[in-house]
Amino acid sequence: MTPRSLGGATPAVLAVLLVACTGMAAVVATALGLFPLYGDPTPGLDGWRALGPDLAGALRETLTIAVSSTLIAAIAGLFVAQVILSEARSSRIVGALAAAVLAVPHLVGAASVSLLLANGGMAARVGGVDPGGWPRLVAGPWPIATVLELAWKESAFVALVVVAALGPGHRRRLETASVLGAGPWQRWSRVLLPTSLPATGAASLIVFVYIVGSYEVAALLGRTTPEPLPVLAFRLFGSIELTARPAAAAAATTGALLALVAAVAVLATIPSLRTAVAPRAVGRPGSRAGSRDSLQKTQSASRSSRP
Amino acid sequence: MSARAGARGRRTPGRSGGLVLAALASVWLLVPLVPLLVWAFADRWSAPAALPQVWGLQAWREVSTGGLGSAFLRSCLLGLTVAAIATPLGAMAGRAIGWRETRRPGLVAVILLLPVLLPPFAVAMGLDVLALRLRIPGPVAVVAVLVVFALPYCAYTMAAGYAALDPGIEEQARSLGADPRLARRRATLPALTGSLTVAAVLAFLVGWSDYVVILLLGGGQWVTVPILLGATASGSGNEPAVAVLAIASALPPVLLVAVVSGVAMAARRRLRASPDAPVGSRVAQP
Repeated sequence: MTPRSLGGATPAVLAVLLVACTGMAAVVATALGLFPLYGDPTPGLDGWRALGPDLAGALRETLTIAVSSTLIAAIAGLFVAQVILSEARSSRIVGALAAAVLAVPHLVGAASVSLLLANGGMAARVGGVDPGGWPRLVAGPWPIATVLELAWKESAFVALVVVAALGPGHRRRLETASVLGAGPWQRWSRVLLPTSLPATGAASLIVFVYIVGSYEVAALLGRTTPEPLPVLAFRLFGSIELTARPAAAAAATTGALLALVAAVAVLATIPSLRTAVAPRAVGRPGSRAGSRDSLQKTQSASRSSRP
Repeated sequence: MSARAGARGRRTPGRSGGLVLAALASVWLLVPLVPLLVWAFADRWSAPAALPQVWGLQAWREVSTGGLGSAFLRSCLLGLTVAAIATPLGAMAGRAIGWRETRRPGLVAVILLLPVLLPPFAVAMGLDVLALRLRIPGPVAVVAVLVVFALPYCAYTMAAGYAALDPGIEEQARSLGADPRLARRRATLPALTGSLTVAAVLAFLVGWSDYVVILLLGGGQWVTVPILLGATASGSGNEPAVAVLAIASALPPVLLVAVVSGVAMAARRRLRASPDAPVGSRVAQP
């Protein structure tokens, strides 16, 4: 790989390698005891050993949150996309709302969901439930508020990715189906659903990977034990005990590995997603940013011509 | 999304059903944000009342004297810096991908996807130790990480823009006597204004919305609006202040997206209206 062969992409590629790969390498090295804050390196798996039973709990919690939020986000996103694609006047409002939700940072969503679902929150007050009778949705035994926030915000992402992917060709396909005698149910099940699935799958994979690595929502809405991997890593990282550093790095490494393995495994088993993921990723700031495919959508006219 | 009269006419029998579905989708999208709008204007709201007893702007006054102004400026500065660096880098990479000016398109695409796959908190955690050892100031490290996490969005947005633009536009400018730089500046880039705007907005949003990277690398001195919100939400129990800070964190991104989408929609409408649209925006149409 020479700068020449990369062309104008060289600065961007170097920036990614320098920052992301160096950062990741430092985390892995810290987890393996090769990069202590002070003293001599002590190679080994002490970082993981120090996590002990917390590791299994954190893995389970991470997977519970990521799998359930991704599933709900995919279903709700597909639903919202179909409403937007229906092209009724009201669908334009739904499209604008989805773009707005996408732009809202996850931290804001988490703060608002906490005001809504906490004990004594707005839902309990409006519903007239007294404080003792409200279920523990925030920081309770199940990460319900966390899952709902992630699913809510990511459903807007899924919806706008699907809308952008189907593009203007969508109307033509539905009209053709109508002319050929397809009823509403057939138009939905034989045209709309199959054509939306690749984009839904690609968007869901990106959502899953994002949620595995996301910190703030679970930190604000989740319970203290077990925590998902990012929250566990973050807590250990801030610990005053210096020995907690390798453990924090081990938790972070496990989270990154989980995301990478999931992405590689899915892309290897479903090759059709490979072409779909790269352009979809364009829209993916999440908490890191707000809005992507809403904006991408503004380019759907030009993108529709791409293979 | 234009509502075509024909399509709507055909749909008339199912119209009320469509309205119900649209209402359901709107409720799903809107309800999680409603508490912000109520709590932010609640001067007194004791449970179990369904609505605040006293409405007012007390929380806004409280928050604005508590450093919201400087945090707001800092967030803007961070967003603008990230956009100013990531947009040109992304545009160069996008050109290489979109116009196939690289001999290793697959490699470039995979490397540029890495920031999407790697958790930002893990990368920031690794860089924390390095930044300490190399004495890199916190804000520099924060900007470096955020630029890298903004790059995939910028690069792929620009790649889509370039892919939709005929490279002939630059050759024409060259044959008219422009040197490569002038051709890029006066012919290619103006045709890509839309993509450049989107890329810059995305990068701004990455910088504006960040929480975890600043928390890890900012060394506690770099207080942005999301940092203020995070601190208030996790500790204080002051719901009206949380709501005000959440609105302050959400409003700039939402407004930015609304303005850009509005401009893009108007541009598309103009494009449809006039067949003599500028080359750059038209080549893409099948």
